[in-house]
Amino acid sequence: MKPRRSHFIPRTRAGRIATIAFLAAMFVGQPPVVHGLMNRIEPWILGQPFLFLYLLVVYVLGIAVLIWAERKGV
Amino acid sequence: MEPWVISTTLIFVYLLATIVIGILANRKGTSSMEDFFLYGRQAGFIVLYLTVVATFHSAFAFLGSGGYFYRHGIGFWMAGTWTVLVGAITFTLGTRIWALGKKFGYITPADLIADFYESETVRVIVALVSVIFTLIYIQVQAQGLGIILSVATGDRIPFAYASLLLLVVAAGYLMVGGLRAVYWTDVIQGIWMYVAVWAGSLLLTYKLFGGPVELWRRLAAERPDLLTLPGPEGFFTPGVWVGMTIALSFGIILQPHMMIRYFTAASARTLKLLGATTPIYLMTLFIPAVFVGLGGALILPELETPDRIFPELLTTYAPAWLTGLILAGATAAAMSTLDSILHSNMTVLTRDVYQRYIAPERSERHYLAFGRWVVVGLLGVGWVLTVYNFDFLVTLVTLSGVGALQLLPAVLGVCYPGRRLTTSAGVVAGICTGLLTVYLTQQVWPQPLGLHAAVWSLVANFLVTIVVSRVTRPPSEATVDRIHGEVERFVYGD
Repeated sequence: MKPRRSHFIPRTRAGRIATIAFLAAMFVGQPPVVHGLMNRIEPWILGQPFLFLYLLVVYVLGIAVLIWAERKGV
Repeated sequence: MEPWVISTTLIFVYLLATIVIGILANRKGTSSMEDFFLYGRQAGFIVLYLTVVATFHSAFAFLGSGGYFYRHGIGFWMAGTWTVLVGAITFTLGTRIWALGKKFGYITPADLIADFYESETVRVIVALVSVIFTLIYIQVQAQGLGIILSVATGDRIPFAYASLLLLVVAAGYLMVGGLRAVYWTDVIQGIWMYVAVWAGSLLLTYKLFGGPVELWRRLAAERPDLLTLPGPEGFFTPGVWVGMTIALSFGIILQPHMMIRYFTAASARTLKLLGATTPIYLMTLFIPAVFVGLGGALILPELETPDRIFPELLTTYAPAWLTGLILAGATAAAMSTLDSILHSNMTVLTRDVYQRYIAPERSERHYLAFGRWVVVGLLGVGWVLTVYNFDFLVTLVTLSGVGALQLLPAVLGVCYPGRRLTTSAGVVAGICTGLLTVYLTQQVWPQPLGLHAAVWSLVANFLVTIVVSRVTRPPSEATVDRIHGEVERFVYGD
């Protein structure tokens, strides 16, 4: 039996949403975004420097996508 | 009683507990190879969760990350990126590896890869890459263990003897109880190290600065260079950031001790849940390391070995009993990874080399005995590397990950059916090119154009694998149908 289509492209709607959302979260946690626009101490948020808190939020978003995908049975 | 005696005693109590667990695991287990090497493929969510996180986080996370924050600043908070990526890789690739392992009875990564490519050359190369680059990882853990015990005892037990002692303990309970002992100890170690690193970090942060907010304020006033990229020494450039993200996610996952964990899962659902939730543990463990490393840069700015920052702060500023408990947690972090690497290398050398080429068709008892001797040999090699080749923990782990990363095109070719096939010749050429590129971009011309060796080597590897695969013979249709057909059924059903 030969596979009809490549496995590198998700076939379900939930799979496509999860893939795009996760890649977006990864993208904003990488250069050039991190080394350019987000590379700053201010503004301070909840007493934390901006870059630290920004990356924390990005990581939490990535994890949220994974949990959503698991719940959706992707 | 002197403080160092109290803290050292607590570390030794912990070591004794791991030995007892090893003995109990030996009584519970059977003498089959599948039980000794793969926990009988029955690891449930909680056990697998704690063994994966405890194995992933090692002396590297407990000591090395503090050292990197200390020296290079907030840039090492990029660690969160690869921990999230590890979850995604487990979710997608890990479940496919599990499905194929369950269906075709694979025990090692080489089993999986060589079966598809129908090549003994591929098997030997994969086994060699697996073992050689994880030897560096053994060195990382032994180095970390040496630092912990030598600092705890005020250098009364010298670094070399401290690392040897703890190597012997880890090898001992592994030889007695096999993977069951490793998993049982990892459950304790996974919990202990998490509590210990948070407790130690918060204690120091509040005692020395009055809390994290005040720590940030002082950093902004006294060392603002630690709070932005690329850091005081200009280390965290975009190229290094991307390279380390790749090496420490894909590279670590492709090491045998992590891939073997996929084979041991009780179900695919277990692995998907694992992929979705392990980043919570993995990522949040770096938050206390931020406080330790950056806070340490303010308090002890002239430290010769930055990896010692956490134990140095503890022994100087924390009560002895708490220092002992926390350093036992650090010991747990290193030993839970060390035992897993020793186990996986034992499995690879026994299964892929000895059983296949040197002594086929012997009894399971014979192979188990041989595996135990392999552990002794690995212990010796790891210790010699530790004593004679000291380096930054994070640097060593990254090199180890970059080496294992070269298996990625081969693994993707097996687990992700596509319109075009990769071939054994393509995979061999790709791995060799990748390793040569690692050498060139790490040693000869370090980081050309500011890009990390992981990026250069992976690009070169993929290009050569694809090009050579176009002009060489693919695996037989029967094998492709059997393996890719199983992946198709597993992912999308019949």
